[in-house]
Amino acid sequence: MTSSGAKHVSAILLCAGVFLAFWAKPFHVRVQAATAPVTFSRQIAPILYKQCSSCHHPGGSGPFNLLSYADAKRWGIQIKTVTQSRYMPPWLPEPGFGNFADSRRLSAEDIALLKEWVESGMPEGDSREAPKAPVFSGEWQLGMPDLVLKVTSPMQVPASGTDLFRNFILPVPITETKYVRAMEIRPGAAQVVHHANMLIDRTASLRRQHPDDWMQGVPGMELTVDSGDTFDPDSHFLFWKPDSPALIELSGMPWRIDPGNDLILNMHLKPTGKVETLQATVGLYFADKPATAHPMLLQLEHDGAIDIPAGDAAFVIEDELKLPVDVDVLGVYPHAHYLGKRLEGYAILPDGEKKWLVLIRDWDIDRQSVYRFQSPTFLPKNTVLHMRYTYDNSKGNVRNPNSPPLRVKAGNRSVDEMGHLWLQVLPRPLPHTEEDPRVLLEQAWMQNNLRKDPKDHTALYNLASADMISGDYRPAVDLYRRILTAAPTDVRSLIALGTALDGIGDWQQAQGEYERALTIDPQSADARFDLAHLEAKHDNYVAAEQEYRRLLVENPNDAVSHNELGGVLVTVGRTAEARQEFESAIAIAPNFDALYNLAGIEADNNELPGAAVLLERALKLRDDADAHQLLGNIYAQSGKLADALDQFKSVQTLRPKEAVPHRQLAQLYSQMGQLRDAINEQNAAISLEPKNADDWNNLGVLHARNGEAGLARKDFEHALMLDPQHAAARANLARL
Amino acid sequence: MLFTRRTMRRPLFTICVLVSAFLYGGMCQAQKTQATYGYYLNGEPVRSLAPSGASAVVLFFAASDCPISNRYVPEMRHIEEEFAARGVVLWFVYPNYGTTADAVKQHEAVYGSEKHVLLDPDHQLVTLARAKVTPESAVLVPEPRGGDTFRSVYHGRIDDRYVRLGQERPKATQHDLERAISDVLEGHVVQQPNGPAVGCGIIGHP
Repeated sequence: MTSSGAKHVSAILLCAGVFLAFWAKPFHVRVQAATAPVTFSRQIAPILYKQCSSCHHPGGSGPFNLLSYADAKRWGIQIKTVTQSRYMPPWLPEPGFGNFADSRRLSAEDIALLKEWVESGMPEGDSREAPKAPVFSGEWQLGMPDLVLKVTSPMQVPASGTDLFRNFILPVPITETKYVRAMEIRPGAAQVVHHANMLIDRTASLRRQHPDDWMQGVPGMELTVDSGDTFDPDSHFLFWKPDSPALIELSGMPWRIDPGNDLILNMHLKPTGKVETLQATVGLYFADKPATAHPMLLQLEHDGAIDIPAGDAAFVIEDELKLPVDVDVLGVYPHAHYLGKRLEGYAILPDGEKKWLVLIRDWDIDRQSVYRFQSPTFLPKNTVLHMRYTYDNSKGNVRNPNSPPLRVKAGNRSVDEMGHLWLQVLPRPLPHTEEDPRVLLEQAWMQNNLRKDPKDHTALYNLASADMISGDYRPAVDLYRRILTAAPTDVRSLIALGTALDGIGDWQQAQGEYERALTIDPQSADARFDLAHLEAKHDNYVAAEQEYRRLLVENPNDAVSHNELGGVLVTVGRTAEARQEFESAIAIAPNFDALYNLAGIEADNNELPGAAVLLERALKLRDDADAHQLLGNIYAQSGKLADALDQFKSVQTLRPKEAVPHRQLAQLYSQMGQLRDAINEQNAAISLEPKNADDWNNLGVLHARNGEAGLARKDFEHALMLDPQHAAARANLARL
Repeated sequence: MLFTRRTMRRPLFTICVLVSAFLYGGMCQAQKTQATYGYYLNGEPVRSLAPSGASAVVLFFAASDCPISNRYVPEMRHIEEEFAARGVVLWFVYPNYGTTADAVKQHEAVYGSEKHVLLDPDHQLVTLARAKVTPESAVLVPEPRGGDTFRSVYHGRIDDRYVRLGQERPKATQHDLERAISDVLEGHVVQQPNGPAVGCGIIGHP
């Protein structure tokens, strides 16, 4: 009986225990609320100062300040409303679907505290408990920039009306290549600017398209710029939104900017009720060295499928892209216009696992942003990236720009739509090859675009370019011909076809394509330059000189043509004239090739100090193995052995798989009497080229000089085994 | 543009009249205004909202530091220009407790000055118009008995650009205040707003 009664009590206690555990937390909160009211000083100020003040401060993008108790009380009701609805702080990604750095999303606890504070009368509490309000200086965040760019003409943003999208072109006044490690964008009137994107226009193409009005800014939501003829895909999200701090790139990943490049500031502007004057400035901070890691931006999209019937509340587009290489995803940038509703980005790994990259349940163009992962997200080769965007073109979508709804297609106006998912990826090096993995990504991306639209001109061109970089000239020829079938007078493709034909050895046909391009556009400097280059390459120096001189008549400041003409003149023995051309090129814009070529002339004339100075200048522009090599030789000849050693080490770093730098280092160490180092380098050379009899003979000499006769004998014998006729090895062996 | 909007609304008119007639009885109990209506920026009390013979008085409840209120300033000027010749007087009413005349003057220096501006710290007009937020509007009409007394026939949003905080149309599709003024001028039953006013809460005495 007793026993039975005891069991019964235990059961009741057990149930009570479960009940208590279930309610423990809410009870605790209530008790805490009753005994210690939520105050501004203790709980609210830390939330506001951390999550709100970065916009809500004088001069910030927020419309009012949140830097004091008085501020918080003034706006308390709104704070409660907008945090309850999660309108503020602005943050679109759904938690748990991508782990992003700098998340502005408030925790549920913070939102509950704000609500409780407002509903309890917004008490201040003990002001001594409040943290110090943050201070926002008007100075550049990282100190004075190395270069400050300012939009040429201020823009008057009207007091009212719909949103505006404007592209401001910023020419970059530099005379040598720079590497940007950080950038701060100051929009000029922060409350007008919803977001901004910076683009690098490698060929100043937008400025050339708008020669008369570019200074006022070019309208347009999105734009495409010509990236030129070198493979250098866009690699960084240069994005600004309210509260964006200075944008500091990851270590080893500065972005490059060359003389002649423009920066384009693409801004989304929102009238505030009064006329605003906008004139953005941009501060650039330069790195000492170029990038050692090369990220790339990839895009999923399916604009071609956007044809949304009026009234359709759930129109879906999708895209997918299979990764040809391993990558680390650094960030994502989803983008749609006003009809975008649910935006999904995810990856299906080769083992079938689904990995979310981003999910936005209620897209709002006004709150778009780049989202950077807290730590890189690794995706192995053969992962398939997916984009799935849903659009709402019904009248129930309050953001719908058309009332009543209209059929909507893809386009650049705010009443058109788009569906893009950009990813910043850092491809991992390819095993067993030095091939640039970005080329494989570019090929996969463009092939994907061609799958969606076989006539996609840009994709055909870019895919052909990627083939050219890989040395696959024949498929490139086919692709250029496909473009030219649709656009027979496309001069750029004719020139590219010429280059591809030259690549497969059909230089006469290449010549014909360049000439055809010049027939269509006699002013095409690219066609004439490539023709001149082709003539020079095939020893037609007279014709080459003629074409280069025509180019220079058209544009006397064409430094590259001066340099190329100098090269032709050197080849035909007109060194004095060549020197003039190289000097002209350098005077126009110090460029590596002209400096290197002129140094060669100086070195040939035994003007070693002058040659050394030119090479030192050249190496500041480009870290080049040949230049290090030549400078090393000059230093060695000048008796500056330690300096020579540095140069040869640089060659070895740049050409890690070549034996030559090791041989040179071995020779130099030997000259310096550092026989052990010399032997190490010689061994390194042999490890890369084990069947080179000369190397074995030289190793034998070094061993012999180091008193290691036994090893020397084996080395000489090895040399003779590889080359029984090796006279030096035989003589050295006899001398032992 | 305005003509187009009116034309598009016309098919709805009969329905609106019926709905409005129902609302009208409940809402438009004559509310006599008090003798003063707040203060001019020089501190003098405002004793008259409009000269005799005015068709209507429009109140625009504004706050100098509310971004949505500021964005409506050009729209209110547009409305003022549209109806001024027909005897409609627009007042910018600053109702927030703590708003000073100097702050309003500074605001006017940036956003442009108005002919009729008053501070309503005691919320006489807020009460009359039942305003809750800035921006919000009201349309007052003279009492039939004359004198400087008015009754409110419309209060609420200016248009439907803002659905709620954080949800905004690219441009308004319904111009409720303009429609209400037109109703008054044309002798129709005044249609009430089709949605709530969205903005910053009006601050009263602590």
